[in-house]
Parts: sequence; structure tokens; C-alpha cells
Amino acid sequence: MNSHLSDDQITEWVLGTNDEFVHRHLETCHVCSAEAEELRSAISSFHDAVHAAAERDESFWRNQQLAFRERVSAKDWYPMHWAWLVAMVMVLIMAIFLTRTPNAPQNYSSEDADNALLKAVQGDLSREVPQALAPALLIAQERNEILASKLNRQSVPKQ
Amino acid sequence: MGQNGQAAVLIPVQGKVGVGMIALDDFTPLVQLHQQRIYRLLLGIVRDHDAAQNLTQECFLKAYQKRATFRGEANVGVWLLKIAVNLARDHRRSRLREFWHGLFSSSEGLAELGQRLPDPHASQERVLVGREEVAGVWSAAEKLSPQQRAVFILRFVEEMSLEEIAEATSLKLGTVKTHLFRAVRAIRQQCKGGRSRE
Repeated sequence: MNSHLSDDQITEWVLGTNDEFVHRHLETCHVCSAEAEELRSAISSFHDAVHAAAERDESFWRNQQLAFRERVSAKDWYPMHWAWLVAMVMVLIMAIFLTRTPNAPQNYSSEDADNALLKAVQGDLSREVPQALAPALLIAQERNEILASKLNRQSVPKQ
Repeated sequence: MGQNGQAAVLIPVQGKVGVGMIALDDFTPLVQLHQQRIYRLLLGIVRDHDAAQNLTQECFLKAYQKRATFRGEANVGVWLLKIAVNLARDHRRSRLREFWHGLFSSSEGLAELGQRLPDPHASQERVLVGREEVAGVWSAAEKLSPQQRAVFILRFVEEMSLEEIAEATSLKLGTVKTHLFRAVRAIRQQCKGGRSRE
């Protein structure tokens, strides 16, 4: 038998939709009427339960107002706190930059290396004979000394 | 604050803090007037006393911070409810919070709220039936989307009109009707399910 109201029709009735057919049916059908009334009663009980649960004594609401005022006051201070914090961080950064020593240790070592290289180059440039021909110079000097001693011996008359 | 209603509270004032700003002392009556309703709505949505209490304060704090943007076109109460609905939605979105909430409170809130029936003179049978009904509705409401639940509570707990609900939830009127229909049908299914188990 399918002569009873559907779930949707009962839902619509609870929501206040004014359907003449549903209205007349509920007046005559006890089954549908009981179901619709049960749904309405459940929602009504829920309404009452939430209202009862939200009931609080006067001190609760007073405390809520006090908490709200405190939080408003706290929030009003937040921007000031942030401004102070930003200022402090900037001062700290500036202090670090100003008090920092200008030369880092690794700069010394690189400068030393540069100086050593410069000295080596200057030494090379001031040398008469390139370093690669130094042995040849020694041989030439030795040869000159031998020749000079020979000439000396020839120039001294035999006794 | 003006004598005749909420809107007067937010009329720009020439005072200590300048034009267009409302002093804290002028805002406090607004809190007094609306805090219970905001708390009730939030309790219905988040089902947690501590969270509802905290979110209520947050709601007024937000309203206070945004007070300069309120143009007075809408009802102040609806404006506050809109802030509260948004806060409740954000609260639900926080998965971490849900995790901790679920860990420590689970269905305790549901049971506690289910016990709260206002009529102490009702018969024992009526009290039991009422508790079952409330538990059934809570259970069905728990399965609704946050928006559907908010719409349902605004309609059946706060007894707001569909137009006011649309404004408070920033939804179209048709969407509000659809959410309501689905919410009530879910509760109907829950009622039927509970009866068939008996």
C-alpha cells in the first residue's frame, strides 16, 4: 500500500510548505500524522536542549565581557609590540655591521701570496740572466777564469 | 549607545577616538545584548562549551576590529551571526583541532547536551523520549556539512527567517532552502532509523 506521505512530503510540511493535499492527508491519516509530529517534536526538543545548554549564570556573561575587554586591550598593544621588535632587530643588525672587523683572516693569506708573487717577479726582472740560463752563466764564468789563468801563466817569463 | 536598539551602537561617533571609530565603552553594550545568542549558535555548531566560549569572544573581537567597515545596512545581530558562522566554519576546518577535540571530548558533549531538557516537570517517560529525540537530532546534525548544520541551527534554534539566514551565511535563498530540506530529511531518516531499531 502506498497511500502514505513520502519522506519528502513530511519534510516539506515540517519546513512550513503549505501544501493543501499534505495538510488534508495529515488530518485523516494517523500514521503520517504521528510521523510528522514525531519529527516536529524531535526538532522542538533539540531547540529546547540547545537553549538550555546555552543557559549560563550572570557571572559567566560578566566574565565573557571582561575577557573580551582584556583581549581588545591586548590586541591594541600588538602593533606597538611589533614596532618595538622591528626596531630592536634593526638596531641589532646595525650594531653587528658597525662592530664587525674589516678584514677577514682569509684576506691576509691571499695578500701574502700576492706579495710573494710580486717579489718573485721583481726578483726575476732584476736578474741579469734569466734563471733558466744560470748554469750556463756559471760554466761561462768558469771558462773565463780558466782562460784568464792561462793567459797569466803565458805572460810570466820563464826563469 | 543609543537607547533604541542595536544599530544605534554602530553609528559613527565624534569622540575621544575620532569620527568613524567606536570606543570600547560604546561597544560593550553590544556584547551584552548579543553574547548569549552568539554563544548558543556556536555551541550548536561546534558542540563544545570551551570552544563556543572562546569563539564568542573571538566573534566580538573581530566585530570590534571590523567596526569601521560596518555600514549599518544590515541588522547588527545578523552581522554578528555572520562573523560567528565564519568563525565556526574555520574552527571546523582545523583538522588538528578536531583531532585533539576528538581525542579528549569525543561524544561527551553530545551526551551532556542531550541531557539538557528544560522542563523539569515533564513526566519520566517524556524526559526519556525527549532525550532520545535530542540525541537523534544531534547525531543526524553531526553528519551534516558545517554549512547545512549552521543553516539548520539558525532556522530551528535561532528561529531566523530564510532571508536572514541567507544573509548570515552568505548563501543564496535557494541554497538555504536546499540545505534546510536536506538537514530535516536527514533528521527524519535518523528518527525512522531509531524507531526501526526499537
